[in-house]
Amino acid sequence: MLGPRSNGFDRPQPGRPVLAPDERPAPQKKPDRPSIPFRDMISRLEVLERSPVFFGLSDATLRHLARRLRRIKVHAGELIAYQGEPGDTIFLIERGRCRVMIEKSPSVVTVALLGEGDFFGEAACVLGQPQQASIYAQTECYLLALDRQSLHMILGTREHEALDELRRLADQRFRAFADASVQATWSVLLQEATVVGVYSPKGGSGGTCISLNLVGSLSRRYPGQVLLLDLDFPYSHSALLAGLVPTNCLARMGSLPRESFEEVLLSAVLYHAGGPMILPGALRPEEADEVTPELVSRAIETLRKSFRYIVVDLGVTITDATLALFDLTQHVVVVAAPELSAVKSATDAIEILKELGTPHDRLAVVLNNRTEKPAVSKPAVERMLKREIDVEIAFDADRPERAAVEGVILTLTNPKSEMARGCETIAALLEAKHAQTPRHQPDQTNTAPVPALAHHS
Amino acid sequence: MSGASSPAGVLQQAQAGLKRAALRRQLHAVATGKSETLSVELDHAGVDVGALVDEVTDGQQLDSAELQRLVVAFLNTGAADAVVERLLAKSPQQRARSARIIGALHLYEGVPWIAPLLESRDRSVSDAAARALGKIRGAASARLIVRAIHRRGLNRRLVAELARSAPDLFIESALAEPQRPSVRPALAMAAGLRRRRSAIEPLLHLLEHGSRRERVISCRALGWIGSGTAVPMLTAALRDGDWKTRMSAAKALGALRARSAKDDLKYLQIDPNVRVRKAAQNALHQLHEATLDGA
Repeated sequence: MLGPRSNGFDRPQPGRPVLAPDERPAPQKKPDRPSIPFRDMISRLEVLERSPVFFGLSDATLRHLARRLRRIKVHAGELIAYQGEPGDTIFLIERGRCRVMIEKSPSVVTVALLGEGDFFGEAACVLGQPQQASIYAQTECYLLALDRQSLHMILGTREHEALDELRRLADQRFRAFADASVQATWSVLLQEATVVGVYSPKGGSGGTCISLNLVGSLSRRYPGQVLLLDLDFPYSHSALLAGLVPTNCLARMGSLPRESFEEVLLSAVLYHAGGPMILPGALRPEEADEVTPELVSRAIETLRKSFRYIVVDLGVTITDATLALFDLTQHVVVVAAPELSAVKSATDAIEILKELGTPHDRLAVVLNNRTEKPAVSKPAVERMLKREIDVEIAFDADRPERAAVEGVILTLTNPKSEMARGCETIAALLEAKHAQTPRHQPDQTNTAPVPALAHHS
Repeated sequence: MSGASSPAGVLQQAQAGLKRAALRRQLHAVATGKSETLSVELDHAGVDVGALVDEVTDGQQLDSAELQRLVVAFLNTGAADAVVERLLAKSPQQRARSARIIGALHLYEGVPWIAPLLESRDRSVSDAAARALGKIRGAASARLIVRAIHRRGLNRRLVAELARSAPDLFIESALAEPQRPSVRPALAMAAGLRRRRSAIEPLLHLLEHGSRRERVISCRALGWIGSGTAVPMLTAALRDGDWKTRMSAAKALGALRARSAKDDLKYLQIDPNVRVRKAAQNALHQLHEATLDGA
């Protein structure tokens, strides 16, 4: 096992030989690092703290990193990195916007639009892979560049975990861009998606777990065409439970101009290796307020063009955004646990949904047994709800919790588990109700791009 | 020192060979994780530790386990401190060898200690320091090399090591900043050697607005990068008043196999300068070969 590299050179060593006469005086301690003005340092730290990989680092490490950053001004339209070339630097966007483009002959596909606080170049820097995409400055940009040597010197000695996390994120984004470029060239995703809201009126009933597994189940039928929109506020954890590291979210897109909204929205989608895709609603609790009903409607309107199913995890609270979403859903799944308070909440929720005009046949009630011996029996629950339970998920021991810790989706890894079986039944129910005319399976040889995302070269 | 033909010399050579082999085995054992201890004799005249470390670490990535193990072994045994001490030794050979070891181990922490060696009057020392910085890479190394170019002017070794050490967009942003007249051509040359497309814009700007020397080097650099977008400006440079710029542009267009510049290159065959005519002739020959290959 390797130990951390000690930085012995910064300490004066006893018995250092006298300087040779033809040489200059002793080397200065850090001659290559000019002092950074206070305000500049604060600005650099702000950018690092906004970054999803660096924000968890200690203050001392952040300061070390901030000192090593190079600020680079790039004019609008200028090339920053070219697809296929080697790279050794991570660029953090301090100001401005950058466009990530993948050239797939005969077209050039924009796979992401990166804004302030975002970063790129990490795959080339930490994985040693050639640049996966070309990056152009869309507006005048101020970038903060961190080279591989500085990164390894600082994180390698202090924060091994952060370096590993960065590698994981780099790998995830590498796959995401590859998938996005393929998806952007499909010409098949023309029909509008079915929007399914998963509402769990009582916390701890397993709403997020069911949403995630339902998406997994649907993804097995339609890989790359099912999205989970996580609006479970204030703490949105779906991405985390799926073992993904989110870098952007819906909440940050409220102020985007109409012409770039779709690109930014699609570039924020996280791709799970098993097929599901996840769009986080908010990365921080305070960002939840930024998700307005208008933003939700706009996002759904945009996403419906690109997916077959959009499953929305609505969480516990009913907000304006949740109400707006109920109007847009084709099916609502209410999750209840066999506990008195949970069943009471579910009864109230079903009443509200009825008042909102949700048709009876577009509402499914799922009973999720979180304990081996439930306190309230299924007939008792049905009596209280005044309706039949559509799907019952049997007690699944600690499998859902273990899956969450391991960052896996049970419907993809363990289809025989009770949770996977239950979600499979919900998926079948949705299919029965909302089966569309069969679409073509994605033909990857057809490279005609989706108009909004492609620019013919 | 005894001659190699004398019995003592032969014996010394054999001893040095044995020591080299032993150290090579040690270094391999440490790199592969079979051993953690390292006994390095830095003062042995016949054993160039830097060369051996270089041999073992050749092609290793910065975060490779082999390189990390060697670095830890050097640090734990105190050999790294001894190497740094020898950077200030009287003997130029010791200083050069120490710089080489630090470079081979990619010791980024050693960059500030190598910096003064760049100014050494002994060329072997300054070259070894530049090579070490080129191996270590990173913004700090590149910044020091640019400073050395500042003081010493355009030097091939420094330019080559700058191209090797500079991180992404370092040279491009340096080209956009105010620089001394001697530095900008060196930066342009390094940008060409790096062959990154991000340097095309700054080089085109230099070709349009730079001094005579900058224009000459920009043309060559654009040719090395293989930038098809530079062809119109390089074609325009064929009509430059300065013969060196015309020659350089002709060479670049030949390297780019720019068929669209064929007529302009033909016209250059009656240029008053013989070297320009030769360059145009060679470029046309390259175009002709490219046409045959295409057919």
